[in-house]
Amino acid sequence: MTRASHRLGAVSLLVLAGLAATPAYAAGTASGTSITNTVTVNYSVASAAQTPVTASTTFAVDRKINLTVAEIGSTTTSVVTGQLAAATAFTVTNLSNAPLDFNLSAVNGAATHGGTDNFDVSNFKYYLDTDASGTFNAGDTQVTFLDELAADVSKTVFVVADVPSGRVANDVAGVFLTATGREGGSAGGTVGAALTNNSGTANTLMGVETVFADTASANGDGATNAAFTAGDDYTVMVALSAVKTSTVISDPFNNTTNPKMIPGATVEYCIALTNNTAVGSGFDATGLTLSDVLPVATTLVSGSIKKDGAVNGSGVCSGGTAVTDAVGYTSGTRTVSSAMADVLGGAKAALIFRVTIN
Amino acid sequence: MKSLRFCLLACAPVALIATAPAGPIQLTSSVMVEKIAMVNGHEQTVLKAPKPVFPGDHLLFQTDYKNTGATAADHFVVTNPVPASVAYAGESTAGAEMSVDGGKNYGQLSALRVKTPDGQSRPARPEDVTNLRWTLATIAPGTSGSLKYRGMVK
Repeated sequence: MTRASHRLGAVSLLVLAGLAATPAYAAGTASGTSITNTVTVNYSVASAAQTPVTASTTFAVDRKINLTVAEIGSTTTSVVTGQLAAATAFTVTNLSNAPLDFNLSAVNGAATHGGTDNFDVSNFKYYLDTDASGTFNAGDTQVTFLDELAADVSKTVFVVADVPSGRVANDVAGVFLTATGREGGSAGGTVGAALTNNSGTANTLMGVETVFADTASANGDGATNAAFTAGDDYTVMVALSAVKTSTVISDPFNNTTNPKMIPGATVEYCIALTNNTAVGSGFDATGLTLSDVLPVATTLVSGSIKKDGAVNGSGVCSGGTAVTDAVGYTSGTRTVSSAMADVLGGAKAALIFRVTIN
Repeated sequence: MKSLRFCLLACAPVALIATAPAGPIQLTSSVMVEKIAMVNGHEQTVLKAPKPVFPGDHLLFQTDYKNTGATAADHFVVTNPVPASVAYAGESTAGAEMSVDGGKNYGQLSALRVKTPDGQSRPARPEDVTNLRWTLATIAPGTSGSLKYRGMVK
């Protein structure tokens, strides 16, 4: 937008440059602030100074309501079936030029990160990140609304809900958080009264009018309704996964140098378990028993069964506690089987045994 | 491209005339807000009476003067502090001098400098202006005029 003016003097060039570079103010002058333009004229008549004349105009800055809500991060929240109090994190930002309360409301909805929403979470609760850890934990305070969020301030809100049991890996529950601006002004208690949009009505110079200026957002939220919505989702993960690998240890001709899988060769099998939940999640895999049937045309190497072995970052298995054939092998069914110690969140464990190729 | 300016229906300049009624100089102060409006199917910048006014809005401050007396008014000096919540945005009526130090010194904006937080100095920018001043040598009886400037609500 160009502004053409017909009476610019010598300062015009610099002035227009100033116009182009509008400083980026945030929420700006607080609503209710008075703006007064006062002009004073000093003059003389026939060289005698006269009483100065003044004139002024005053009006109050009005209140513009604007806000955003955004999910923190850009990935789904991984959960296990039946998990209670699973948290997704959002920020709520007050872009208005006045402090406000914000109503919080979470609902089930479509998936946000791909996948198809196919279940609902329940029992929505809201928590502030009281200990500023970035993670929902025991140090956080439950709230029912955001109280007295000042202009230009952003607050982290955890939306916490329960995952039903009976869900399987890759099930998705989408959730949407809507924050709605409400009157501020008195801390604590219940959420402030609903805001009224005055745009279009008659204004008084010193009154403070409220106008909604928010934009449309997710899940059907429209513009200029003092509300904003953002989405996130929960995806059920495979809590415990197993990978079976084999390594040729030796053969009768090459011994341990580049051994080949030929009759007489010794092969080591490893069943590596991984608990995919986060370290410290508390979702420990307990009461584990692993079983595996020997491949055809192989014979168990006596004394080779080991339980609770280690698995390194490349998936290579090692160590473990010896399990006797009598305990760990059933020859009738050719099955290797062992109880395993609990595998905690983020941990791995291996069942290892060797066979010779017949 | 010029932007056309229309005064819409309720846009009589809003004024509060202060005291000093006995003298011959009549002074009226007013302010208008720039808004985007749909005129004849496309967007135009128009000036409206203030309210609502929000941070970021562009204002036009205007002072109208008239010498209603029988003798000329000489050495007519008009001083106009820029309000605290307003950033001066240029387009002042020709002849304005600016101050960036609260009215102690006046000059052309291009010649003024301000101190930076680290003790250096830099050329003054429009948003540094704190006061405006116009000096008119003489106002003949019966003549009138307007002095304006633009500002942005911080």
